[in-house]
Amino acid sequence: MATTAIMGYRVERRSTRSPLAWALALILAGACALLVCAGLFIAAGADPWQAFAALLKGGLGSKRAIAETMVKATPLILTGLACTIAFRARLWNIGAEGQVFAGAMFAYWCQSTLGDAPAPIQIAAVIVGALIGGALLGGLAGILKARFQVDEVISTVMLNYIIVYALSLLLQNGPWTEAGSFFEQTAMVPDAAQLPILLAKTRLHLGFLFALIVAAFVHVMLLRSSLGYEIRAAGSNLRALEFQGVKITRLIIVVMAISGAVAGLAGAFEVYGVQHRLKSGTLGGLGYTGIIIAILGQLRPMGVVAAALVFGVLLNGATLMQIKSGVPSALIYAVEAIILMFFLIAWAASEFRLRRLHHVG
Amino acid sequence: MNMPVSPAHADATTPRLHVQRLTKRFGALVANDAVSLTVMPGELHCLLGENGAGKSTLSSCLYGLYRPDEGDIYVDGREMRFASPADAIAAGIGMVHQHFVLVPTFTVLENIIVGTGSGWRLPAAEARRKVEAICQRLSLSLDLDAEVGDLSVGQQQWVEIVKALYLGARLLILDEPTAVLTPQESALLFASLRKMLADGLSVILISHKMNEVLQADRVTVLRRGRVVGSVRTADSSRHELTTMMVGRALSIVDAGERSHGGGTILSVKNVSLRDARGVSLLRDVSLDFRAGEIVGLAGIAGNGQRELFEAICGLRPIDAGEITLDGQRLDSCNPHEIYRMGVGHVPEDRFKDGLVPDFSIAENLVLGDHREKPWRHGLTLDVGRLRQAANEAIKNFSIACNGAEAVVRRLSGGNAQKVILARELARASRVLLCNQPTRGLDVGVIEYVHRQILEKRDAGAAILLASEELEDLIAFCDRIAVIFRGEIMAVLPGRQADIAEIGRLMAGGTDARAADKGMSN
Amino acid sequence: MWGDLLNLGIIVSVLAATIRIATPILFSALGEVTAERAGVYNMGIEGTMLMGAFIGWLATYESGSSLVGLVAALLAGAVMSLIFAVMVISLKIDQIVTGLALNLLGSGLSTYWLRAAFADMEKVPGISVLRTSPVPLLSDIRVIGPILFNQGLLTYLAFLLVPVIWLFLFRSRLGLEIRCIGENPKALDIKGHSVAARQYGAVIFGGAMAGLGGACLTIASTAHFVPDMVNGRGWLALVIVIAGGWRPGWILAAALFFSFLDALQLQIQGVGIAIPYQILLALPYIAAIVALMIRRRASRAPAMLGVSYRRE
Repeated sequence: MATTAIMGYRVERRSTRSPLAWALALILAGACALLVCAGLFIAAGADPWQAFAALLKGGLGSKRAIAETMVKATPLILTGLACTIAFRARLWNIGAEGQVFAGAMFAYWCQSTLGDAPAPIQIAAVIVGALIGGALLGGLAGILKARFQVDEVISTVMLNYIIVYALSLLLQNGPWTEAGSFFEQTAMVPDAAQLPILLAKTRLHLGFLFALIVAAFVHVMLLRSSLGYEIRAAGSNLRALEFQGVKITRLIIVVMAISGAVAGLAGAFEVYGVQHRLKSGTLGGLGYTGIIIAILGQLRPMGVVAAALVFGVLLNGATLMQIKSGVPSALIYAVEAIILMFFLIAWAASEFRLRRLHHVG
Repeated sequence: MNMPVSPAHADATTPRLHVQRLTKRFGALVANDAVSLTVMPGELHCLLGENGAGKSTLSSCLYGLYRPDEGDIYVDGREMRFASPADAIAAGIGMVHQHFVLVPTFTVLENIIVGTGSGWRLPAAEARRKVEAICQRLSLSLDLDAEVGDLSVGQQQWVEIVKALYLGARLLILDEPTAVLTPQESALLFASLRKMLADGLSVILISHKMNEVLQADRVTVLRRGRVVGSVRTADSSRHELTTMMVGRALSIVDAGERSHGGGTILSVKNVSLRDARGVSLLRDVSLDFRAGEIVGLAGIAGNGQRELFEAICGLRPIDAGEITLDGQRLDSCNPHEIYRMGVGHVPEDRFKDGLVPDFSIAENLVLGDHREKPWRHGLTLDVGRLRQAANEAIKNFSIACNGAEAVVRRLSGGNAQKVILARELARASRVLLCNQPTRGLDVGVIEYVHRQILEKRDAGAAILLASEELEDLIAFCDRIAVIFRGEIMAVLPGRQADIAEIGRLMAGGTDARAADKGMSN
Repeated sequence: MWGDLLNLGIIVSVLAATIRIATPILFSALGEVTAERAGVYNMGIEGTMLMGAFIGWLATYESGSSLVGLVAALLAGAVMSLIFAVMVISLKIDQIVTGLALNLLGSGLSTYWLRAAFADMEKVPGISVLRTSPVPLLSDIRVIGPILFNQGLLTYLAFLLVPVIWLFLFRSRLGLEIRCIGENPKALDIKGHSVAARQYGAVIFGGAMAGLGGACLTIASTAHFVPDMVNGRGWLALVIVIAGGWRPGWILAAALFFSFLDALQLQIQGVGIAIPYQILLALPYIAAIVALMIRRRASRAPAMLGVSYRRE
């Protein structure tokens, strides 16, 4: 019971959250986030209205802009789902960041060993490789937690750093280095391996559709399957599950591996749908943004898709915003974090209510 | 050591504590409804009531943890407004919580002095002298430098009491102090309390154990947040008090004709168990469980009861010995396989061990069996069947809830326990294991749980029942095994068992005082 | 070439670098252990250090004074952890989620601010870095002098902080209360003391230390701020607290171990041994995982670490 009394009113924590309070808190949080952003625009010497307008126009202004927003949202849907799966089991997989790299790398390895196979086989190799690569890295963190009691937050963060160095090792004077290139990158992948474009004259690729299918799959998996049942139970009370003889160590490893596999897809889709080559640097940040997406999506797959699309608008619009108003597009990373913080505060605050005291005492 | 004396402005006729029409609400719930209470200096005053009657809320208000919505509190004739426990402590009120509030990794002295004194320095030296004086007055020998986690529960109880006295308590609130003690230890506690009362200390004892309640000078009975009555113990009787507490005459569950038991179903033979550090948790435990028989397990909490249950269920691998069910060894079986063989397990901590709080009743009812046939529909759970089964359970066990989809977190302790019973009784075709199945429940639910257990017995299951309520064990069990430090001290025939004898064995078979090394007179 | 590493001059230089490199993570780890002993798991150290590094650098540049920069970094760290404290202690938001959010905030905000303040990245100015302050007489001692007593002022301060934090946690009245909160906050609450106030204090102190630790990376070592330049040191500080078993002395040992790896790596590259630098750079992170695998049993975390206290 909170007992802070102000002017005859008292702030109390309640056991249930009223939808009205939640909606109100959400609107307030959104307004606060907008205000802070406006402040940041002004600090950068830009006109907030102009900057916001450019941001929205860049993200939603045309058919092409919308398609590009969907391109930007694709990896975020997947990393958001990856985090959702793990977070639902209260496993704090912060490693989507590294699992994105692992998926891209393993996919590249699988696909590049195929040589001149027909397109469907190449793309299948990319997808399977991405799943395996992400699952390996995620599963490794799962093993570290289940067998060695290493906190998964720290192990996944460490693995994020390690995998980036590993990629750099392979790209710099390594087996994957593009001949004659100064940059740390591979050669372009063959056309047959590139993900088909869904909408002509845009970059919208098959990956977007695939991400939506994965979201639907995760939704059903969480709500209806036995594994989903165990994931949700683990998130609420791991011990009760253990008392029923469910093998917790196995569950942890499986969940981390599945979470990693989904994140791995994001990396491979970026490489084979957008970049068309593997290079260090361009995959960074997808996993960390996925954490935000998962939480904003309330750990629900459909919420994740919605949040990822909103963030797609921001990321996509940021370029136009920088051109039109001079506000650095790096703003978006700050804005993402600010939105997350206000969202968390709104979520917590809607648990409280003001109650008038019957008797001041 | 100067024991608390009344301040100058108060005399022996001024109540130490007077509570005037105190009301405390939580939302729509009125936890205390115009409660009045008077405690005199040197009085042992018992607060009697069922769970949820408002005893804890009242004591929290008296200790400044809650602020009452209405009503007044007077200490030694002065009106008090407690904004925090600091105010209550300053007014001379001390409290020993039912669940001890100690830091296991701190020493006894550190536990006592934390949060006292001023400045940067630890007041260790002065504090040590003062604490030693208190211990001397109570004829208590506590090792002030021992880590509290290494002490027995009985000694921890004393640390709590000394802690309150160190803060200068003149009114001590003891919340269910004997729940964790052997009968002998609790007799010793009452003897020491008498000594403190003679020095002018007042004590409020919160309890529901009749034999303790009757040792008080005065009893105030609470029911559903209201004072039902306040009587001198000398003028009352066990029966009258019980009726006041429950609001009706208590129907005593009749254990019925005791069977001599059929064939052995479950057999535990020479089982030993150590923890990761090599400390022995079970030593050479042997027990047979026969069809249609209830075996009671008596012991102070933490003497291996939990480990025995978990060993039988396959939750803890045993180091030596064997456990057989219908002649089949269970050593290599996992818990799920054991449950499938007809074993039901009602675990000690219902919310932590037995339920998934965020799941619905329907989902909790299939916990563990969620991968099994009737609940599965291809690759997914059969939601329709789940709901149907839940509705049946809700009806059969009269679970008060908003339907099959109700989230278990919101249920009361009694209704949550019924969900576990519904699940475990359905499994327990051969063996039912119940660890503290009635702890913290209302009398009505306790009766219900007992009836269910007896029904299972009559259906021919072998039953293991661990309880802190020795009277219940004697009433229902065919045999009572007493456990102490992981060892079965004796197996007594249920009906003839003598409560004092059980208590003696619970303390290790020797005189309780000698067994408890911290105590000497 | 490996033999080159066994030259006395190189050994001295590796050990001196070890001490120097340990400074920022030591500040952060000592701050963090104070917060964790009070039961608050501040995972936002990385982001807090980043803000400290950035604000410290910016303030030094704007004012021309390193002292102003250090104070600004302390304040930046304190403000970051104040945000964290409000969310975690008052609003009881999950500590892990909030910590992650804080990291993202630190990273995003420092990068944006840098770009907004210096639109032309080619012209990001440098600051003059704090020099070493040799201790008179002591720094002349053979071998030991150059290793221990030819360091920057911040390094001396960080090492001095080890016994200070130990005394505070284990020998002071407030320290006992802080540790009590980490083990069983109710034990202090029922004596009428505010758990939240002490937690706020511990967390804000921890954040200020992390801010100072971050500032060491700019003010005391490089002239420029580079986005995400903390590069995992905040996370290593968390590992060091665990590996050090929540005890200042062992935390010092763990910090020295990790910075030794880093110093060795610099030296190996310096003498031109042909190991890919990526492997050397990844070494501390691999060591961190191994350290946690070994440490698991012996460690004794505060019982209520990461659990928000609610009076039921």
